[in-house]
Amino acid sequence: MPRIPYWNIDYGIIIDLLAIPVAIVFFYGLYRQWLLIKQGKMRVIPSIGNMIQGIGTFRLKAFLVRGILNARLYRKPASGIAHGFVFWGMVILFIGTNLVILNILFGLPVFSGGFNRWFMSFMLDLAGFLTLVGIVFFLVRRMIPPVRLRLPEARKGFVPVSGLLGLILITGFVTEGARIAAAAGSLEAGAFVGNFLASNLISPALALEIHAVTWWVHGLLSLGFVAYIPYSPLVHIVLAPVNVGFADPAPNVKMGVMDFSAFENEDAEELPALGANKLADFTRKRFLDFSSCLWCGRCQEVCPAYNTDKPLSPKGVIVTLADRLASGKLDESLIEGISMDAIFNCTTCAACMEACPVSINQPKTIMRFRQNLVMEQSRIPELMGKAVASLEQRAHPFFGTGSGAAEWRKDLDVPIFEPGQTEYLLWIGCSVAYEQRAQKIGRAMVRILQKAGTSFGILEESRCTGDPAKQMGNEFLFAEIAQQNIEDFSALGIKKIITLCPHCFNSFSRHYPKLGGEYEIIPHGSFIKILMDEKKLNLVRKDQLITYHDPCYLGRRNGIYDDPRTVIAGVGGLVEMPRHRNESFCCGGGGGNYWAEELGSRINQQRAGEAMETNADTIAVACPFCLLMLTDGLKKHTEETKIFDIAEIVAASMV
Amino acid sequence: MHIAVLAKVVPDYLVPSMDFELSNNRAHERFSRMLGLYDENAIETAIQIKEKTSGSLTLISYGSENDIQFLRKGAAMGADQLILVKGTSDDAAVIAGNLMAALQSIDNVDLVLAGQQSADMDRGVVPGILAQMLGVPFIPQIGDVDHENGSWTVTQITAQGKRELEFSGPGVLSITSIPENVPRIPAVRAIFAAKKKPVIKLESTDQKKMALNELEVAIPKIECVCEFIDVEDPGQAVRILLNRLNEERYL
Ligand code: SF4
Ligand code: SF4
Repeated sequence: MPRIPYWNIDYGIIIDLLAIPVAIVFFYGLYRQWLLIKQGKMRVIPSIGNMIQGIGTFRLKAFLVRGILNARLYRKPASGIAHGFVFWGMVILFIGTNLVILNILFGLPVFSGGFNRWFMSFMLDLAGFLTLVGIVFFLVRRMIPPVRLRLPEARKGFVPVSGLLGLILITGFVTEGARIAAAAGSLEAGAFVGNFLASNLISPALALEIHAVTWWVHGLLSLGFVAYIPYSPLVHIVLAPVNVGFADPAPNVKMGVMDFSAFENEDAEELPALGANKLADFTRKRFLDFSSCLWCGRCQEVCPAYNTDKPLSPKGVIVTLADRLASGKLDESLIEGISMDAIFNCTTCAACMEACPVSINQPKTIMRFRQNLVMEQSRIPELMGKAVASLEQRAHPFFGTGSGAAEWRKDLDVPIFEPGQTEYLLWIGCSVAYEQRAQKIGRAMVRILQKAGTSFGILEESRCTGDPAKQMGNEFLFAEIAQQNIEDFSALGIKKIITLCPHCFNSFSRHYPKLGGEYEIIPHGSFIKILMDEKKLNLVRKDQLITYHDPCYLGRRNGIYDDPRTVIAGVGGLVEMPRHRNESFCCGGGGGNYWAEELGSRINQQRAGEAMETNADTIAVACPFCLLMLTDGLKKHTEETKIFDIAEIVAASMV
Repeated sequence: MHIAVLAKVVPDYLVPSMDFELSNNRAHERFSRMLGLYDENAIETAIQIKEKTSGSLTLISYGSENDIQFLRKGAAMGADQLILVKGTSDDAAVIAGNLMAALQSIDNVDLVLAGQQSADMDRGVVPGILAQMLGVPFIPQIGDVDHENGSWTVTQITAQGKRELEFSGPGVLSITSIPENVPRIPAVRAIFAAKKKPVIKLESTDQKKMALNELEVAIPKIECVCEFIDVEDPGQAVRILLNRLNEERYL
């Protein structure tokens, strides 16, 4: 028997009419969300002529892949699949419900033939069933929550709304089962759940009454649910994909550069606040971040600071802000609530950002607090303060170093960059110049370049790109140093730069162009790969197992994972640590934390331990800070010297 | 409350010994120049007093015009004005005499602070000579400074412990570094504001030199002698190491 609209129901049209106020309540709820987000500041982008942007640039691909297909959720298979069941189940049920409405309004023949059997019966039953399975999974998990959901705070409101959805699904199935049972003996092809209920659980004698009641209950609950969505945690159905669409494309933590010209302007009436101290200092995009947070704690689970008992949880930061935003506390100082220690414990490794299913930029939020502490309030942990002072005074942060600027190249004949003659500037940077262990990277790279016959030269005196200042929140000092470097590069006509440090690479490629310094930048690992491809290096492949630690600023921040691995595979056998590539664990030195007294346990020891467990003969890195941090961390596990930069490994394999 | 801080711009005091070299018997010009190490502690101490007492702070230096750019850091930290006495002598009595002239050119100064010693010559005598010239007490190696009921309470810090002292009226203190006076990183607003703060330049005046001649300046030849402390327990290794360093008078 074909299905008939409002069968067994009097005045069923009331449900459809109620859809109108429900839609109004639903959209009003979304409008309230917009009003919250709209309180954020507009973004000013100085590099494109002081253009003011509401939220940002919308990226359709990210919206579809990460927002709609929820690609990142499946990294945790169980909750990813459960979420997939609920999300796609609801999408199909939503389509089915709309087809029913079209059938009522326009007689769209959806209840006949194969379409009825396979979609309206089988697919909708399957969608409802899987949604219910997903809901049960989530309800059970709310009762026995993993730490990431529980700490530092669990989101309230999921249980009632999930329970409501479960009830809607159950009443929907009961209605269907009663309808089939009332049809006395003829089951409905494809409706496997409805048929099961009709044949096993619903008495045909009572079917008509049950149907009449549950039809109304199901309809009214469904309407209530839709109206409730924007006022419940399920608002993420709308906010999360939008946030993903507006997010910077991964892999990328764009910190931008700051424009300090207003401070130079004698007539400027109001000077911009530097960084953020209260909610009102954040932009609309950050407000959208805070509102979109699922409180899922995936960020916290991968955070090196959180995992080594430091007082920082990226989830904690975002949910604190989300809470304050929801309660309208826009002008309260937040820094004390979050704690200065937490703010400076972030290594800016971007693992949280990579793990976040809704593309929230946690490091940027944390950095904005750091900027405020440093540039507005003169507050910085003591060792970081010394590094910043040293950068300001002597253009490198290695206060108290035992090395002079030229010591790394003692007894080596290293060419100085000649304008118009030299092709590449080999940028030594601060750590390679001033830290004894790291100096060997510079020496190895010089040997490699000389062997390959590359036209390269160095600056007379090594210095820093300013990256440590930027990471510690002192954007002003970064801008000053960068501008000085850019001026000097222009005078020398430098166009191509080989970097030894991913932090330098990141600064040059990402931040210098915004200050007027455009160069071709090549990290040393990638350059070695080019030399290997061009057969300019004669290497012996040794019988050695090498594991590779991905530096955050090369890997997650710039997507360079393969070149160093290709280089390593050319000189030995590559063995991976469990956490590698975009899931790699920080060495602990990022975010200026090379100059920190670590609280809790030590990140470098944990990471060095992971590297040891691979049983590799050698632990390779492609960053001087990783080299220093892990060398120190390894001391806890062994007295052997096992950690080398890829340049050192390649130089040792040259014949 | 008006506090004056004496500060000196010096060559980088952290130049590694292997890299250190002389030109014209002084640190080579290639080394970066900066505010003296303890002078920054003195400025920080003064700012904290200024903040507590709503006072004012003048930074006074004896040196070249080129030093002003480095002295501005003191202004960015919180000094209200800078006075530079232009001069090139490194005779402590000449410097003290000129600093006194600068002090006398401004209104009643309630307290004069200086770094415990300059970071280039490490002599620590100028503040003492200045106090004698001014006829006020001089107390070296001061950590905390407090002002209550018109008198100053100061804590003198030595390797052996602390001593609290009290005096009233102006005095000259030389400041040592303690965790409470770690120099602040100037806020960006303050850096820009410092560019507009007044700089008073004074010509140096003739002062009586100390009766001594510089005969020779030399830097020690650095030799590396490596010695292994061969013990299992790191705690014991540290104790032995500390003893050795004490014996050799490195500590
Ligand atoms: S960037 Fe790294 S250290 Fe900072 S909050 Fe995210 S995961 Fe934690
Ligand atoms: S920031 Fe992202 S990963 Fe962290 S709790 Fe929120 S939604 Fe989850």
